[in-house]
Amino acid sequence: MRFILTRLLHSLFVLWAVVTLMFLMFRLMPGDPMAAYISEALSEESKQSIRAQFGLDRSLPEQYLLYVYNLCRGELGTSFFIKEPVWDIVMAALPNTLTLTFIGLILAYSFGVVAGAYLAWKRGSLTEGIAIPIVLGTRAAPEFWVGMILLAIFAFNLGWFPSGGAASPGAMYDSEWQRLLSADFWHHLALPVLTLALYLQGLPLLLMRSTMLDALHEEYVTMARMKGLPTRRIVLNHAARNAMLPVATAFALSMGQLVGGNVVIETVFSWPGLGRILVQAVSSSDYPLAQGAFLLVSVALIAMNLLADLLYTLLDPRVSHERRH
Amino acid sequence: MTCNFYRRLVLAASIVTTATGLLAPMSAQAQGAGDRIRKIVLITWPQGVNPQAHQASQFVAQAWRQLGLEVEVRPMPWSQHIQVVWNEREKWDTTMWRMVGRPERSDPDEVVFNNYHSSTAATGFNFVGYTNPEYDKIATDQRQTPEAEKRKSLVVQAQRLLDRDQPQMFLVHPSSIKAFNKDVWVEDSIVNQSGIGIRNFWTFVRATPKGAQKQMVLNSAEPVVAVSPMYIAGAASSWVTELVWDRLARVGPDGLPQPWAAERIDWVNSTTVDVTLRAGMNWHDGRPVTIDDVIYSFEAPAMGNKVPMYRSAVNDITKVERSGERRVRFTLKTPNSAFVTATLAKINLIPKHVWDPIMKDLMNKPENAESIPNPPPIGSGPFKMVRNRGQEEIVLDRFDGHFSAPKMDRWVLRIVPNPEATLGMFRRNEINFLADYGGAPEVLEKLSKDAPQLVLKSEVDIGFEYAAFNLRRPPFSDVNFRRALSMAVDRNMLVQAAWKGYAVVSNSHVSPALKYWHDADITKIRTGLPVAREILERAGYKVVGGRLNYPDGVKETLQPN
Repeated sequence: MRFILTRLLHSLFVLWAVVTLMFLMFRLMPGDPMAAYISEALSEESKQSIRAQFGLDRSLPEQYLLYVYNLCRGELGTSFFIKEPVWDIVMAALPNTLTLTFIGLILAYSFGVVAGAYLAWKRGSLTEGIAIPIVLGTRAAPEFWVGMILLAIFAFNLGWFPSGGAASPGAMYDSEWQRLLSADFWHHLALPVLTLALYLQGLPLLLMRSTMLDALHEEYVTMARMKGLPTRRIVLNHAARNAMLPVATAFALSMGQLVGGNVVIETVFSWPGLGRILVQAVSSSDYPLAQGAFLLVSVALIAMNLLADLLYTLLDPRVSHERRH
Repeated sequence: MTCNFYRRLVLAASIVTTATGLLAPMSAQAQGAGDRIRKIVLITWPQGVNPQAHQASQFVAQAWRQLGLEVEVRPMPWSQHIQVVWNEREKWDTTMWRMVGRPERSDPDEVVFNNYHSSTAATGFNFVGYTNPEYDKIATDQRQTPEAEKRKSLVVQAQRLLDRDQPQMFLVHPSSIKAFNKDVWVEDSIVNQSGIGIRNFWTFVRATPKGAQKQMVLNSAEPVVAVSPMYIAGAASSWVTELVWDRLARVGPDGLPQPWAAERIDWVNSTTVDVTLRAGMNWHDGRPVTIDDVIYSFEAPAMGNKVPMYRSAVNDITKVERSGERRVRFTLKTPNSAFVTATLAKINLIPKHVWDPIMKDLMNKPENAESIPNPPPIGSGPFKMVRNRGQEEIVLDRFDGHFSAPKMDRWVLRIVPNPEATLGMFRRNEINFLADYGGAPEVLEKLSKDAPQLVLKSEVDIGFEYAAFNLRRPPFSDVNFRRALSMAVDRNMLVQAAWKGYAVVSNSHVSPALKYWHDADITKIRTGLPVAREILERAGYKVVGGRLNYPDGVKETLQPN
């Protein structure tokens, strides 16, 4: 418990540092720091009104406190171009992004871990000789190309899946949960998730294979063999469990990175997620929206980093043992 | 090699570099030229959104470079594009733009007056900043001239003035390609509107489902930024607004205005018109549409400068007053032959009980109506809003209480940024009406041949694509410079290379789709780089060191933006 609290406090400190850095960024850069919140197209009275709301006419410490206070209230400003609260825009897209990212990662890492362990066990075999180039090919192939191929085959030609969007035209639901749990949503999610999983599986597979190869040469594995344990038990309970530690860390970090980075998938499949919004915000200098989305990505990254730390403690007894002693 | 040698080499190089730097301006001055013209930025559409215009902008920029200009082609997402061009009028040099074909533009007044009259330069459609008293007089006179032939002569003069002054480079009138699935829709119920094509209000209201599928699913590549009766932020926004809010008149499929929410329109004299409202109309919230609502609908756009997009349409109205139980009288300042098309068929009817508090609040604030992109969607139109997710999907349901209730149950607009996915969706019947297609026309033609239930329709648009100049910023304030840049580009080449033949050459704001008003001789212009160079030379521009310079004595006063 003490460990968890310590890590949590540490994460909160990192979050505070990110928030402070964002606050200072626009004030230290050349140009008008108020460009972060105030569109030049606004009238002078509008600008004054926003200055007052964000305390931009006050001293720097006062501005900082008001900035943090606004963030805690979820007040991220109004998008320059969409002209709606940033919070509303981001929250509307977030469930779609989290679902796509999380499911894609689960699939990619589940497959990658199992396949990586298997290929390490079958080192030098024909299976390994065929599989590794294929995996490297999927890793190298551009995401949009993979997506278009899957779209052409499974949507346009076979008609097994819809060609885009997150729901059937005009579909209505009583709540967001109902929508996310509906068969229609999962039917639309299938191809984008498959594309993402296909693109991502290369990293966990190769990482797992690499760490497994090291683990299989460890003395405890030799000991397990000498004891006459079944192969499956040696591979899964002894070697794979130790080899999975770096993969667990990679999973957590990937989750954080992908929250705002799925723009290619979202464009190919017309998936209404955060990636498209973030790219559009950055390219159009929509600072409030870009900042809000960036902050959300930071929160996701920090949270996943914390999760990775906690997972490591669970998976590796050496970490908790060292901590206790 | 000794150190001394290298020292001498470096010294010699510095002397040569400094001398070149000093001599360059002297060279320009010695040749009787002004300052070098700054880098010009041409804002354009992203390739995925409007590939034809994007391609055209590349050709245009290339032609300008061959005149000695440094040109940057800068794609912008739509929401930023409209913000920069519409709200930051001092800050851009040139931009690709398009006037889409809307029904109210079936009368040339909308474009002849609103786009180029100096009164709309500050906040209205004349964002290029064209100010010409001669043009202003012609634009005003044609509006006040009831005799058709005389008015036509004025409209032709307006076209020739713009040809002379080139406030913008007209490029093409595109031929819009739209399509529908005839397994879903009765083919004869799809309406082709002159100069608009099949994607129009009448199709949406009259399209009759053939079988079990009773919802129209159509697409847009751009998100819908605003659904408001006071602000149109793009083509897709206008499709939605037209369906949710009624107007007193509408432009019919033949391009002529007809009563819509009005039962009848009677001219008392040349400046007075009585409009009788239909009986039994209701708003989508159940309350009745009253004469007070109608009066308010025409007063609100005139409040201060709170509704810049519609203000010019009501500028000519002196007063709007009740003149009977269901009758309202408009009194105009001057005769206006385009009043029914340009005003009655344009102004959206809004409920006073919804908009009065909004406008009163706005009057106390510096913002205008465009700062409320999605106000309460209470109209009286044939469709009512069910869901507005502008980045994803707009859903409208049939309003059964409407006097001309649609035949379909639901109208669903899906935002699909990927043109290939659009085609796939259309083939799979995930979209049954192709409303927005920016890909290669031949691909769509092939799709239609392979799947005969997919019917294509093509129509030369009322609208036009162009490259706008910002006349507030030199050298675009110089008519000779503008003419040279315009004449440098071969429009026929653009039609083939960028629009793949699905367009006709333009040199006018009055499309050939408006046969009666269009000046058929206006496109007989000489274009090409030699023509452009000759214009520049006569105006005193010189090419020095491969770069175009101002005439002698003229300084560059602006920075590239």
